[in-house]
Amino acid sequence: MTDYDVTVIGAGPAGLAAALAAEKNGKHVLLVERAARMGGILNQCIHDGFGLIRFGEKLSGCEYANRYINELKASNVETALLTFVTRIEKNKDVFEITLVNRDGLRTVKSRALVLSTGCRERTAKQVSIQGTRPAGVFTAGTAQYYINILGEMPAKKCVILGSGDIGLIMARRLTLEGAEVIGVYEAKSSPSGLTRNIAQCLDDFDIPLHVSHTVTRVFGESRLNAVEIAQVDDKMRPIPGTEEIVECDTLILSVGLIPENELAETMNIVIDSKTKGPVCDQNYETSLDGVFVCGNALHVNDLVDYVSESGEAAGSSAAGYSANKRILVDITAANDFAYAVPAKLNVNSDAAKTVLFFRSREERDKTEVQVLVNGASVYKKKYTKLRPPEMERIVVDFSHVGPTDQVTLEMREV
Amino acid sequence: MIDIEKINKRLEENGFEEFSVHDNGVGIVLTGESDDWDRIIGAGFCAAEKFGKMHVINDVNFTGSAIPKMRLPELEDSAIDGLHPDVLVIGGGIVGASIARELMKWDLDVLLVEKEYDLALGASGRNDGCVHPGIDLKKGSLKQKYNLAGNRMFDQLSEELDIDFERCGQTVVFDTVKFLPLMRLSRAYFKRMGLGDVRILTRKQLLAHEPAVKDNCKCGLFFPTGGVVCPYNLTIAYGENAVDNGAALSLNTAVLGMQLSEGSIVSVSTNRGTVYPKVVVNAAGVFTEEIAKMAGDRFFSIHPRKGTNTILDRKQARIVRTSYSLLDHLKTEGHSKGGGIVRTVDNNVLVGPDAFETYQKEDYTTEGKNIAAVFAKQGRVTDALHIGDTITYFSGVRAPTFEEDFVVEKGRKTWNLVHAAGIQSPGLTAAPAIAIDVSQMCVEILEENGEPVLPNKAYNPKRRGIPRLSKLNDTDRSTLIAQNPAYGEIVCRCEEISRGEIIDALHRSVPCETVDGIKRRCRPGMGRCQGGFCGPLVAKIISEEKGIPLEEVCKSDAKSRLLIRKSKGGDLID
Repeated sequence: MTDYDVTVIGAGPAGLAAALAAEKNGKHVLLVERAARMGGILNQCIHDGFGLIRFGEKLSGCEYANRYINELKASNVETALLTFVTRIEKNKDVFEITLVNRDGLRTVKSRALVLSTGCRERTAKQVSIQGTRPAGVFTAGTAQYYINILGEMPAKKCVILGSGDIGLIMARRLTLEGAEVIGVYEAKSSPSGLTRNIAQCLDDFDIPLHVSHTVTRVFGESRLNAVEIAQVDDKMRPIPGTEEIVECDTLILSVGLIPENELAETMNIVIDSKTKGPVCDQNYETSLDGVFVCGNALHVNDLVDYVSESGEAAGSSAAGYSANKRILVDITAANDFAYAVPAKLNVNSDAAKTVLFFRSREERDKTEVQVLVNGASVYKKKYTKLRPPEMERIVVDFSHVGPTDQVTLEMREV
Repeated sequence: MIDIEKINKRLEENGFEEFSVHDNGVGIVLTGESDDWDRIIGAGFCAAEKFGKMHVINDVNFTGSAIPKMRLPELEDSAIDGLHPDVLVIGGGIVGASIARELMKWDLDVLLVEKEYDLALGASGRNDGCVHPGIDLKKGSLKQKYNLAGNRMFDQLSEELDIDFERCGQTVVFDTVKFLPLMRLSRAYFKRMGLGDVRILTRKQLLAHEPAVKDNCKCGLFFPTGGVVCPYNLTIAYGENAVDNGAALSLNTAVLGMQLSEGSIVSVSTNRGTVYPKVVVNAAGVFTEEIAKMAGDRFFSIHPRKGTNTILDRKQARIVRTSYSLLDHLKTEGHSKGGGIVRTVDNNVLVGPDAFETYQKEDYTTEGKNIAAVFAKQGRVTDALHIGDTITYFSGVRAPTFEEDFVVEKGRKTWNLVHAAGIQSPGLTAAPAIAIDVSQMCVEILEENGEPVLPNKAYNPKRRGIPRLSKLNDTDRSTLIAQNPAYGEIVCRCEEISRGEIIDALHRSVPCETVDGIKRRCRPGMGRCQGGFCGPLVAKIISEEKGIPLEEVCKSDAKSRLLIRKSKGGDLID
């Protein structure tokens, strides 16, 4: 006997879609959310650009989230808000999930589990910034929370390190709120964010972008008063002698996102060293039977539309979860790929419309991406441009792949 | 008697000809001029007499750079003006806090002053938390005496103060078997020294003990009396218990000067007023020399020595069961064992520290090259350390004398003064034992002065810590949440810290209203996201609980506000 067929952990866009999809499949679903409100990071994304693929409109993050939240409220999904998963144990074929909230502790039993725990931001120390430990060093998401949720300004005169999308969005947001953004600095030789965000957030506001530069040091005993910026070489190592001191009271960091997989790790689920998310198959099932993963917990997506898509797919898979034995084949991406998801194919399951997401390792022009089975091409697609910040999506028919076949992804110039 | 000529000859023979020493009646005064700090330190060591009662006093004119002045709180008021405590303890580190608590066993008015906004902000909060067995300390040194005595006190102490302490042992790893015969012999010696039943680990046993050691690690020595504790928690716990028992604590209070008369301290001036103590305890860490000078009793010198530790993600904890280090049989330079790998009570892994002489007593900056060097060094013991698992890193500054031993004694010229100076590693281990002796000295001074000192009948050695809900079993956790639902609301996801725990930390007997203060007390922001998610939530709780606007919430000191102003406005959702 279980309490739920599917338990979804995390009510951001991935979890909302997963819970709804599982419920539409007639399942009894519990959606657990740590915060007081569903929607995840979308709640602090008051800028637009969400939902172009999914709804064909430009929505704000909050509006996008609300479409799902409203649908969810009208559904039979049970929700547990302000509730934290403190432990998960798998007992035979049942997951025992221990939840803690203001009412106390409670353990629920569930047949399947969906991890939609999102991602966290890389911190200053994780990119080796040295010096003192003053106030005024914030990750972009934290700064965004202060401004958009709490209505407070964390900066007057700031430097932004990293041209990831949140960094770009925050450059604009801080400018609109009256702060001076001295510049956006990026250690890579090309920007990390979407092209549209470079145009709309930096160019439109005359905010300079300095590629091949990084912040190496912060100054200030109490509050930040300056940062040291250095040029970097092609391996992103600071070049001695190029250091420059820039006075500012705030450093905003947008230096990468890391899937949050601490729960997966406690269950010894295999983590992909490239994506930092769990290894999964085309049904979003991880190395542990019955545990599914989606959204940014799986790999960091560029658009929320894809997050919802993976959530929906993972939710449906979790709803249809059976103890059928999986037969897994590796999907091996060549080195030109930063990564490809999923990394496994369950050949004992429907694989006719397998969705593959990938990013190229480097920026490149005119490229053909090929999927091969035992060296023979089964899918080709030409791209005029591939950029690491932009995720690509292809749908491949793998229905004829068998247990001993080898599936590989390659790309070449054309 | 000091043989000054002999020391001067030694300086010359060792190439320190630009320096010389003379005897000023209280110490070996080193003079000269140099722009090279390392040479000054070298000369200081060269002039130091092993086990001498006379210390090197560094009066060399350093021309290389301006030595920064002690950082002072901006605050100026009269909060403690006119107080007449029996004992004034200067310095809210582990030494000062433990002395204050020990003094409360007596019926005394005790005032503890600390120049920073919180306790444990110097070396006490910036070390690896090792409770050392006392392996390589010189026989007859104060370090050895207090380390052994202090170590034995930790079981009872951690119980009384309700802090985490694990006697997990300490392992010294060898990359050769050639010392095995010597190790067998040394077991009896260690036992006599009070280090308990030291075990020799063969390669196989070493692997069973520490599975991540590399192939070149051939054998090891396991010291069962070693342990780990959270050093700032211990300091704060001492402070809280002292205050609970009636001690007065004044933070943001720096000693600026003293008025002396006939070999006695009459008054002590601070930025918060002048106090008139009967006895003064000098527990000012790196600034003990300055305090000694104010008190007319400067007979030693402190030469700051900096070290940096890196904290790794707790998922790395599996690679470290106790704490271990590779013995450098090729004795390297320096006066520290050169760091190791430590699993903390909170299951993080610490790598380091290193040791560098510096003229800056409050330079807590970090350098990438030093961190890389520490990783390279510890990479000789295990392949399992990855710099990519770094959560954060921090520096601390030790406070050694040139004799590299503690100074725990009454003033030599000033009679109503007790020094607890030169307390560097293993100071954390030693502090509980030092506190007993120092408090005894204070009582003696008071009694010599005709003040009868009676025991404090109301003294309660027990302190109740902030509950750590995630460490409780389900039943106890449920019970607490039923009493206070805030214990069920998780604010810090990485360390699983509830709103209730944070609120508790804001209402303890040692005041705290900063984000970093909360972090040290109950750990929100200590995890892998470093407060990215919980930082604003903690700030908001501080604002609500303390009734201050969010823009006035500080990260650390009064000048470290997190926020600039309100945003342009509009209606907030909540």
